[in-house]
This record gives sequence, C-alpha cells and structure tokens, in this order.
Amino acid sequence: MANLQVNLCGVTLKNPVITASGTFGFGREYHELYDIGTLGGVSTKGLTLEPRLGNPTPRIAESRGVILNAVGLQNPGVEHFIECDLAWLKSTGTAVIANVAGKTLDDYKNICEKLDGLVDMVELNISCPNVKSGGMAFGIKPETVEEVTRYAKSGLKKTPLMVKLSPNVESIAANAQAAERGGADCVSLINTLTGMAIDIERRRPIIANNTGGVSGAGVKPIAVRMVYEASQAVKIPVVGMGGITCAEDAIEFLMAGATAVQVGTANFTDPLACPKIIKGLHDWCDRHGVQNVSELTGTLQLNGK
Amino acid sequence: MRDYQAKIVENKEIAKGICSITFDLGEEAVVRCGQFGDILVGGTHLLRRPIAICKVEGRLVTFCYQVKGEGTQKLQKAEAGSTLSVLMPLGNGFFVEKEEKKVALVGGGVGVFPLISVLREYKAEKQISAYIGYRNAAAVCGVEEFKKADKFVGVTDDGSYGEKMNAVQAFEADLKNGNRPDVVLACGPTPMLRALKALVEREGLTCYVSLEERMGCGIGACLVCVCNLTNGEHARVCKDGPVFNAKEVVL
Repeated sequence: MANLQVNLCGVTLKNPVITASGTFGFGREYHELYDIGTLGGVSTKGLTLEPRLGNPTPRIAESRGVILNAVGLQNPGVEHFIECDLAWLKSTGTAVIANVAGKTLDDYKNICEKLDGLVDMVELNISCPNVKSGGMAFGIKPETVEEVTRYAKSGLKKTPLMVKLSPNVESIAANAQAAERGGADCVSLINTLTGMAIDIERRRPIIANNTGGVSGAGVKPIAVRMVYEASQAVKIPVVGMGGITCAEDAIEFLMAGATAVQVGTANFTDPLACPKIIKGLHDWCDRHGVQNVSELTGTLQLNGK
Repeated sequence: MRDYQAKIVENKEIAKGICSITFDLGEEAVVRCGQFGDILVGGTHLLRRPIAICKVEGRLVTFCYQVKGEGTQKLQKAEAGSTLSVLMPLGNGFFVEKEEKKVALVGGGVGVFPLISVLREYKAEKQISAYIGYRNAAAVCGVEEFKKADKFVGVTDDGSYGEKMNAVQAFEADLKNGNRPDVVLACGPTPMLRALKALVEREGLTCYVSLEERMGCGIGACLVCVCNLTNGEHARVCKDGPVFNAKEVVL
C-alpha cells in the first residue's frame, strides 16, 4: 500500500483528505457513519468569538452540477467549541483545523489567541461580508489579505495558520502572495464563488440571502486553475479544494500543486465520499507505482513546455 | 442510519403529481414513524431529496413524493430493478406517550404521507382520528390507509371530494362536537401548520408538527435546514426534527 501521509507546514496528516469547513460540522454526525479518525483532517464549521444564528432560510439551492449556500456562519461560538467539541474531535485521531471568522481585525487576533496551542491548525475565513473596512470583505484585496493574516498570525505562537482564499478576486496569485507576506504557513483555496439561482415562478432568488456561495463538481476546473496559479506564486504549501468528488479529482489538485485537499459538497451527495476518496488514492497510487502520495504534488507539466 | 444501495421494487403515480416508490433495502431497517430518507437521484443533482417514509414492511420501504422539479422528475423516471442510494432512517420521528390514548392526525398535501406511518405504527394501541385535506379529488391518495383509522375525515379545498374545507377546519369542527384528542400530530404546508398551532394553543392541546425545509447534508452537520424556536435559538429540521412540539417552534 502506498504511503498517503503528508506533511502540511509541520503538521503530519494521515492522508491528504480534509473535510471542508461548513459541510462537516464538528464531525460528530459523520462519525455515526464512519470513523472520522481515518481522515487526514477536519476543518470545523466557521467559528466566531460570539455565537451566531446565521441567515434566514432557505439557505441552500441547487443548480446543475453545483449547489449554492448562504448559511451565514451559524455557530455556537469559539468558547463553546473549545469546551464541548474540541476534546472529542481530537480524540478521534484526525487533525483538527479550526476555521475562524471575524468582523474586525482584532476579532481575528482574539479568536486565534483562544485557539493557539489547542488545535493542529487554524484556517482563516476572510471572505465573509459585513466587515470593518466599508463592508468590503478582507479577502478581496491583497492589502487587506496581508493585514488580516498578520493580525491573525500575531495571535498564534504555537499553531500554524492556513489562510482560505476567495476566488472572487482580481488575482488569486497576488492574494496568495499577500497571505504569504502576512505570515501564513499555508493557503487553502478556493472558497465558494458568489452566485444566484432564481425561482422563476416567484421571480425571486431561491436563497433568502439572494446570493450564495457556489460549490460542487461544476466549479472544479476553475479551482484547479487557481490552485495551479497560487502554487506557482508562493513557496508555502497550498491546500486545494473545489468540486472534489473522487480520488481522481483529488489527484488533479495534487498535480496542480496542492499538498493536501479539502472535500466539501461531495459529503452531501455521498456522506461516505471522504473514505472512498482515501481508498481511491491508495488504489490509484498502487496502480501507478507511486509509493508516497506527496510525490504527486506539483508534478503537472504544461503543454508546450 | 445507513446509506443503503436500495433496489427499486415499484415506482408509480398514485394521484395527480404524486408518486409512490418502494425499495428493497436488502435487510430489515428499524424505522420510527415520521422519520425520513435522503434519496440520491444522481446525475447533475448534487443534493439528495429528503422524503418522508410512508410505510415499512420487512425489507421494503415506501416513500411518497410530489413531482415538482427536475430532481423529482428524474426520480419518477427511475425504473423498477434499478438501484438508488438511500440514506435512512433520518430525523427524530413522531412519538406518542403511553398515557396519550386518543390521537388526532391532521395532514394536508404531501404532508399526509408521514401520517400514514403514524397510523400504521399506533393503530393497534391508540384511538386515532385522521383529518386529511387535499387540493381536489384528483389529488386524493392514501385513503385506503386512512380508512383504517377509528375515524377518517377527508376534505378538499374545492369540495370535489368530501366537504369543502381544509384539514384544520375539519379537525376544529370535530373538536366542537366534543371529539377531543390527547395529542395532535400534524404535517402539511406551513400556513396549515400555523393555523393549527393557533387552534391548539387556544384549546390547550398538545401538538407535534413535522416540518419541511431545504436540506444540505440531511444528518445535522451543515446547519442549512434550521427552523426558529420560540426561545430564540435555531434547531436543525433534519436532526433535531423534523418533528417538533408546536409550542416550541415559530411557524
């Protein structure tokens, strides 16, 4: 059997498969279906300093090959997570990646300080709207990406920082570099693309929030391209995500430059998607004589070169 | 809860726009009335369809669904002998306390099907009255099941079958006749449940309602399908529900 272990900025993952934030809660529900300790990592539901109720419903819609969601960061707050879920999640044996969001720069620093040393990694969600600088999300401009990364990093003495990049930007490479300058230990991408789906009978958007984040199989080529561009632009590791449904999809991302991958929407289609992808990675590596899955990272060769 | 690769035994239209699909799970499943399954129709549809379980007989489980969009149209075309992925049983389901002897079922639209599962589970030990509303005569279905209740009142919005009224009005009329239940179990469109909630609050009756919401994971992880509770919190329809005490939810 191939060795699927990967090293992500000093954190050893059993395999490169991480569940994407927001699709997996804190893992308890999926643990009823399979041992989530077999996963490379779990990126938690986005946490904020205070509990949040999120958006009105409907919060989800479907379009061919993709879904749209606008949950609005409903979560019980970081303290509740630390008290009630963290010990259990760690006990499963998977790597715990705490996904965090805030309204202000200080929020990001404070929440990182609370989690420092308690989790394996912190993942920064910087694409949520209604934040300090004139309502502009931190994740759009390189300057604010760098600034928020620096603030978050200042709250972390022990735990490495992953910055999750938005695809709704001018240059994914420039934003990846901005995160790197700000002190990110790795970047993850892509977060969802902003979209809309309309109920034509009611002439209204299906989602109560009007717009939602698009994810699922249909976004994969966009995500692969962006992972390639980002990984060419930075020295820190890249975690790829966007439409991964099977092991072959995950391998595309690894070849494009990712060290590990995240799987989100596929969990909804098939709650056993992640263990199937892990098994598929073993099978593919064995068939292709690949001894360490980490050998695949960045092995893409462009045509004409 | 398991993800069954379930073989379709039968898939047919039972009323206008309403279909019934029966699967062979390959083994017996323990299912509580009012629970649901999440059916993967496949193709470009990434989300499963959460559908109430109507009937369980040994290895066979029957769901009834309204053909509404592309996903349910695809489900309608699924042929007997083929296999679909069915994640079930999900949700809490209905539960009737031992001391609750007289049970009223109030249902409308596709909400009548989970109530069939209640009737099948409790008809031997409880005195059950069913008040069921349909849009019109063409939409009437499940009557052969509801007729097994101690009392069945079927009504329609246009009077083409039974009296011209809705299920809540039918229930209220019987209440005025002195037929007072120990517990009311209901499922149907939100306006119907809202009217029922107001009625049971006036009457001081215990009532449980089964809710519908667009779902993501179906197992309680993604927080997509929440409903508002009267205490200001949110609950997950898929995991904490779909059945809630009417006095605890905002409709």
